[in-house]
Amino acid sequence: MANVLFKGTPAHTSGELPKVGSKAPDFKLTAGDLSEVSLANFKGKKKLLSIAHSLDTGTCADATKRFNDFAKSRPDVVVLVVTADLPFAQARFCSGEGVKNVVTLSMMRDRHFAKDYGVLLTDTPIAGLCARSTLVLDENDKVLYTQLGPELTVEPDYEKAFAALK
Amino acid sequence: MADITHRGNPVHTIGELPAVGSPAPDFRLTDANLNDVSLADFRGKKKLLNIFPSIDTPTCALSTRKFNEHAARHPDAVILMVSADLPFAQQHFCSVENTQNVKTLSMMRDRHFAKDYGVLLLDGLYQGITARAIVVIDEHDKVVYTELVPEIRQEPNYDKALAALN
Repeated sequence: MANVLFKGTPAHTSGELPKVGSKAPDFKLTAGDLSEVSLANFKGKKKLLSIAHSLDTGTCADATKRFNDFAKSRPDVVVLVVTADLPFAQARFCSGEGVKNVVTLSMMRDRHFAKDYGVLLTDTPIAGLCARSTLVLDENDKVLYTQLGPELTVEPDYEKAFAALK
Repeated sequence: MADITHRGNPVHTIGELPAVGSPAPDFRLTDANLNDVSLADFRGKKKLLNIFPSIDTPTCALSTRKFNEHAARHPDAVILMVSADLPFAQQHFCSVENTQNVKTLSMMRDRHFAKDYGVLLLDGLYQGITARAIVVIDEHDKVVYTELVPEIRQEPNYDKALAALN
C-alpha cells in the first residue's frame, strides 16, 4: 500500500509499484480494436507505461499529449497509456486531440492490471481507478524506472522518464 | 446465463435479469459527482434503468437521447443510464448532448451491479461490460418490467419500457 494525495486528501493504493530491476508483471489489457494485448505484443521494444485515472480529465489529457509528442521522435519506444476508460472513450479522446503515436489500453474487462502493478486506488472519490504512475521497461521487460505521482492531479516527471529511455 | 448476439455472433451473460415481481437487487453505483448511490437514493420513485455497453457507442447514445426526451413526461420517475463508462465519459456525453433529464450511473468501482442484475458479458468483444437491457422498478422497489435486448446493436423497446412507468 502506498500513500498519495487526491486534491490534497490522503489516498491509498492497493500495493506497490514493481521494483526497479525486477521483471515487469505481464498483463492483459484491451486495445482500441477491443483485442487483448499483453507485454508479448510489444516484444523487443522499450516501453513507457503512462498509467492514469481517466483521459477525460485535464492532467491525464495533458500527460498523454506530452507523451505523444515524445513517441513521435522515438520509434524504438512504445508508449502505452493505461486507464479504466472504456476503449470507446480513449478513441474519442485520441481522435479529438490528434493523438496518434501512443497505444491506449483499457482495463474494461477487469482490474487485474491495476492490482498487479499496485496502482488501484482503494479510497477517495476515484476509488476503483488507477493512481498516476509512470514506468519504463527495457527491451526485455525489465523495470528501469518508476514514479508514483505523489498528487493525482499533478503531471508526471517527464524528464526523468525520458532520461530512463536514453 | 442468457444467450444473445453481438453483431450476429453468439455471446453470453453471467446470469438472468431479475424476475418481474421480485424485489430489485440493491446496488452501489457512482454518479456524475463521484458519489456512490443505491436504490435508497431514489426512494418512493419509479425507476427506469437503461443498461447499456457504452455511452460512446451509437445505439447507447441514441437510447439516452430518446429516454431524455420522454423523461420530462414522467416527473414521478427517475430515468437512470447505467454503464461501465467512467463518470467523466458520461458527463462528456451529457454536456455535449444536453441530456439533463436523465441521470447517469457508472460501474467505475466494480462490476457488482452487472453481476447482480445478470447483465455482465462473459465473452465476445464486449466481455467485461454489459449487455443492453431495461429494468423498470416501481415505488416499492419491485421489478415490474424487464427486457434483455436480443442483439446488442438493436435499440430497446421504448414504448413498452415507458408504458411500464404508467
